[in-house]
Amino acid sequence: MDILIVGMGKLGYKLAETLSSGEHNITVVDVEEQALQRAVNRLDVLAVTGNGAQLQLLQEVGAGKKDLVVAVTSSDEINVLICLTAKKLGCPRVAARVRHPEYAGQIDFFKEQLAIDFITNPELDTANEVARYLLRGYTSHLESFAGGRVGLFEVPAQGLPEVVGKTLAEADVFRDMLVVAIYRDGEVLIPSGATRVESDDLLQLIGRREAVTALIRGHGALGQRHVAKKVMILGGGKAAFYLAGRLLASGLSVKIIEQDEERCNYLAAQLPGALVICGDGTDLDLLQDENLAEMDALVSFTGHDEENLMLALLGKQQGVPKVVAKVSRSNFVPIIEQLGIDRAVNPVLISAGELVRFIQGGQIASLSLMFGGQAEVLEMVVPPGAPIIGRKLSEARIPQGVILGAVVRRGQVFIPKGDSVLQGQDRVIAFCLHRELPALNKLFYPKRKGLGHELWTGRKGAGKPSAD
Amino acid sequence: MNFGLVARVLGNLLLIEGAAMVFPLGISLYYQERSAVIGFLLSMGILGLTGLFLSNIPSSSPRLKAREAILIVTIGWVVVSFFAALPFVLSGSAFLVDAFFEAVSGLTTTGASVLRDVEGLPKGVLFWRSLLHWLGGMGILVLTLAILPILGVVGFQVFKAESPGPSPDKFTPRIAATSKILYTIYGVLTAAILLGVRAAGVPWFESFVLAFGTVSTGGFGLYSDSLARWSANSPLIVLLAAAMFLAGVNFSLYYDLAKGRWRQALGNAELRWYVAIMALSVLTVALNLYGPVYGSIGEALKQAWFQVGSVMTTTGYSTVDFDLWPSFSKGILFTLMFVGASAGSTSGSVKVVRLLVAAKVVKRELSRVLHPRAAKPVVIGGRVMPPEVVQGVVGFLLLYAAVFALGFLVISLEGLDLLSSMGAVAATLGNVGVGLGAVGPRGSFASFSSPGKLFLSFLMLLGRLELFTMLAALSPRFWRE
Repeated sequence: MDILIVGMGKLGYKLAETLSSGEHNITVVDVEEQALQRAVNRLDVLAVTGNGAQLQLLQEVGAGKKDLVVAVTSSDEINVLICLTAKKLGCPRVAARVRHPEYAGQIDFFKEQLAIDFITNPELDTANEVARYLLRGYTSHLESFAGGRVGLFEVPAQGLPEVVGKTLAEADVFRDMLVVAIYRDGEVLIPSGATRVESDDLLQLIGRREAVTALIRGHGALGQRHVAKKVMILGGGKAAFYLAGRLLASGLSVKIIEQDEERCNYLAAQLPGALVICGDGTDLDLLQDENLAEMDALVSFTGHDEENLMLALLGKQQGVPKVVAKVSRSNFVPIIEQLGIDRAVNPVLISAGELVRFIQGGQIASLSLMFGGQAEVLEMVVPPGAPIIGRKLSEARIPQGVILGAVVRRGQVFIPKGDSVLQGQDRVIAFCLHRELPALNKLFYPKRKGLGHELWTGRKGAGKPSAD
Repeated sequence: MNFGLVARVLGNLLLIEGAAMVFPLGISLYYQERSAVIGFLLSMGILGLTGLFLSNIPSSSPRLKAREAILIVTIGWVVVSFFAALPFVLSGSAFLVDAFFEAVSGLTTTGASVLRDVEGLPKGVLFWRSLLHWLGGMGILVLTLAILPILGVVGFQVFKAESPGPSPDKFTPRIAATSKILYTIYGVLTAAILLGVRAAGVPWFESFVLAFGTVSTGGFGLYSDSLARWSANSPLIVLLAAAMFLAGVNFSLYYDLAKGRWRQALGNAELRWYVAIMALSVLTVALNLYGPVYGSIGEALKQAWFQVGSVMTTTGYSTVDFDLWPSFSKGILFTLMFVGASAGSTSGSVKVVRLLVAAKVVKRELSRVLHPRAAKPVVIGGRVMPPEVVQGVVGFLLLYAAVFALGFLVISLEGLDLLSSMGAVAATLGNVGVGLGAVGPRGSFASFSSPGKLFLSFLMLLGRLELFTMLAALSPRFWRE
């Protein structure tokens, strides 16, 4: 797919990184030469300097001939303008980032009346993600697939003392589930049966949800079943606003601590059910006065990564069962989770995941980016005619960085083995390292275009700006 | 440093080189040249084994850093040159230093020769020499990029390090696609020249040699007096002059043309200056020649165009001994050795766009004398050049001058006259291949001592990779960290 990304901020970069390792041709546009240099030096993309909302520039880069235009500049209005222009130039699909809460109510209008196909709001997506997590039973439950029948779980190996020191083939506790990845010393390992579990490992499990919850229930150390009732949110920014709204709607009690008085008044007026405290979130006395230790969850959403990290650790130390911190640098997510913080959320990763899911369209039913975007878990429906159908998995040449974690066939979940054979319409939940995404695609989707095709379309008069 | 992956890329490079030897092998088989057939078979065996060995070295990670890209390009060129010399040695055509010089001269599209008896060499070896031009012209690593996706993201760094010009740019999102398009254009141009030369009455075998030598702006021919025997064949001379001109145009402009962006392609600032400099030089030289050397203005224009084009695009073919021309004409030709053609073409030397940038910088400094606070960015073709690029250009020119001066000092140890020494350095550093005096159209590089030949080989590589890449890899700093 030919994709144009306007805006090379954190989200634009992450998106370009994710998509360029797949089978997409990416062109990026930004006004900042430096932001582009970074992209060009590290990614296989074409960079164009300039204002992406300018008609002439969009024509020059052939926005009308692209399959998709994504506008993720820092300004909502410019993003919408870019999408509108690109659509008029003939681009079939456009997506924009629109993050201002005051526009949150008119997303449907944008989609239906302005024909912007997809809108992402990182703060809202982050809030939703955190809300889903807080409302879920187990701290280790990351994501649900196949309508909740399959879950992705993250379990520290220390919680399962009987598997430490054993190889995965020897460990017999993983029935109806599969260890798809091990996070060890800052690196993602793709395990095989011979991989030995070490005590500091974080195991990623995909499996039938009942089976995994049963495993967790049998091991007290993995965390109690715990649905949050009382939540404290530190910082009153956009994400906090959305989150508080979601939690209040689900009947939780929410306490927001925000420093800026004006912002406090705004929040208090907009969120009548929440208790808004005007004060410094880093003030320990204040937090204790506000009963931090009694909280079921602490969400640290201030604007500074360092503060979020320290406050979350503080919450953990005070015995808060679920602690969430927002991190703006996606690379730090796994490190922070290793420090004992239950969830580190990164709006860029979440938003990039949403956008990628939209871009891959019908191919991927569900997707979540993991380990700071190094890997992803995807849910796909095997299309009829896929090359993988009818072959034993052990003979299907599945690349090393890909693990098929679970298969749902006619409502039944099973864990694929070497001699399993996939059928059309199977729902597959796969773990995939980023760089293996193209290889995975080749297995699941019939071949479309070859080298000659690429050369041909590369020159087929695509430079003429379309003027309609 | 990820040596495993560097080795793997080099291994692939050698396998490609080995595969390329199939063509000269075929030629040698056809002409039944026993020694050459054995030489090529042995070379292919050595290349195949070394290539397979290197490409199977395990690597610590599949990612390359910019530093490793520089290493790949530098070592790649040296190693490929080394192995390219094997057929010369194994077929008994040339020995060690001479063979290496000849291989480097081929790959860097210099076209300078140290072989005394070119006419007596096996046809397969001569074909290999010219094929080296063709492989080196567009870049052997760009070829690797087009064929193998192994380099991944860092491919662009490799591309930048190997492609000529101050800021090489890809014109499609994927580096692999850009490389394929470049080679497609290159292939089409080669085929067109080949058919044109054949139509002008040159035998097939020599047509191939001339097409390779022209499109890559290399300059190897079949005879030690270059193209003197064809100097009366006017259609051929004009065709080759036009072909050299086309090979000196930035290849991305052909892509623009193919996509119908005529105005963008023809309005290119560098192209206009390239044409202007060439036209002005041709006219001046022709006027200078008209009378004392040639009786008709048409003949003077034709020979002037061919010779100016040959030197400016750094091809190095000659139809006549321009060493006998008036001093003014020789002066122009010598100056053009430092100009070169366009960035992103197959030509060597400094490139027009760099001189253009330098001229604008000088102009800016002049106007600053009058208006010290005037804001004057360097604008080329309506686009502001980023300050880093401008600084890079100025740095390049200074370095080029410094390398030339030092090279001249070293080469003057050979005891040649000053003009020949300067000509030898300018011809190798600029990848021209023909100088003045002893290394002029009727001269040869054969008289240099072995250390001298090695030093000139080094200059050729330095010039082909545009100084910075290779000097960076040679700096102690590069290895310390």
